[in-house]
Amino acid sequence: MATRAIVPPVRPRALDGSVKRLEEAFRRIPVAAVIRRGEELPRALASQVPAIFFLRAPAFHLGPLVWAVQAKHKMAFVHIDLIAGLGKDRAGVTFLAREIGVNGIITSHSGLVAAARAERVIAIQRLLLYDDMALPSALSALEHARPDIVEVLPGVIYPLVVDQIRARLPLPIIVGGFVTEPGHRDAAMGRGALAISTSTSALWP
Amino acid sequence: MRTPDVSGAMLPAIRDGSSLHTALDLGYRQVLLERGSLLAMLGPLASAAKQGIAIFVNLDAVEGLAPDAAALAFLATDLGFSGVVSVKPHALRDASRFRLRTVQRIHAIDSTGLETGLNGIVSPAPYAIAIAPAVALPFVMPAIRAVTNIPVWGTGFVASMEQAVNVLTAGATIVSSTRVDVWQQFARVPVP
Repeated sequence: MATRAIVPPVRPRALDGSVKRLEEAFRRIPVAAVIRRGEELPRALASQVPAIFFLRAPAFHLGPLVWAVQAKHKMAFVHIDLIAGLGKDRAGVTFLAREIGVNGIITSHSGLVAAARAERVIAIQRLLLYDDMALPSALSALEHARPDIVEVLPGVIYPLVVDQIRARLPLPIIVGGFVTEPGHRDAAMGRGALAISTSTSALWP
Repeated sequence: MRTPDVSGAMLPAIRDGSSLHTALDLGYRQVLLERGSLLAMLGPLASAAKQGIAIFVNLDAVEGLAPDAAALAFLATDLGFSGVVSVKPHALRDASRFRLRTVQRIHAIDSTGLETGLNGIVSPAPYAIAIAPAVALPFVMPAIRAVTNIPVWGTGFVASMEQAVNVLTAGATIVSSTRVDVWQQFARVPVP
């Protein structure tokens, strides 16, 4: 377990500052690289993307990966719902924030958004659009949780619901999920997304 | 199974007695109870099933049912429903014991989620898999067909006739929509 053994970089504790920094970085390069396997990381590190989303990394071997990202002056986000070995609870968020020093977490759960806020890391909450009947209640949940950023998935649905989302949530939006072609990226950016998230390395600038 | 099978490409997704009647008035012989309280519309559902309407229930989203064997026995034996939809493998396995058709719901949110869903296809094989949202189907059909030949349904965010046709063209055998205007158009212009 590589946590305390290597001294993690000191992370600025000012959350508002780091959200602003991320937004500014996305305005220059509006892409987050989604990493599912370790071997995809070098290519993402070599690209210009300002943020890297770890989707399935093993929690207790995450430290060196996150610190490699931060050493490249990129921000590292961990999808806590999908990560192996870590509790999907406050203790899990605290571990990622304090021991690993992630810049933020990604989650579908409102409770973990509150935990991220308490730990002063960025909270990206996923809005999973698989069911039109579920959209109103999903939007209410987001309204109450007030994450820093919303990640809307899958990208193909985003143009269909962007007006409904905007009417309820004045939050920056990242569009992800099957964003595999330049056309998908352009469709999302053309409808006001802050950035896209994609595992398709051809779309990492 | 003596309960009626699906009989057309459009499966109206209903949530209450009034949407049930709208679907039946348009001539549909099949519905998916996607939301709402099953118990609040028990009478109309039971009489529709008796008249040979194929009724499928989304076990994960409908209110009023426990996800257990007693509920499944009630659906299968007392009500004569045709099948259930769920993301939960144990619910599908239990349902197949009661001779309900089992439709395994898989969320097509991103490639990672799809992979997880496809790895989790239950055994015995489900009667069909339902991809949600249906609109993502054209993007994910190759990945699905690489692992299984089970019939594919599309449900969720089908808001126009054009989208319904795209879902079927992508390879789905059934497309489900919550929109009455889509049911109306589809009833007028049947698509093969």
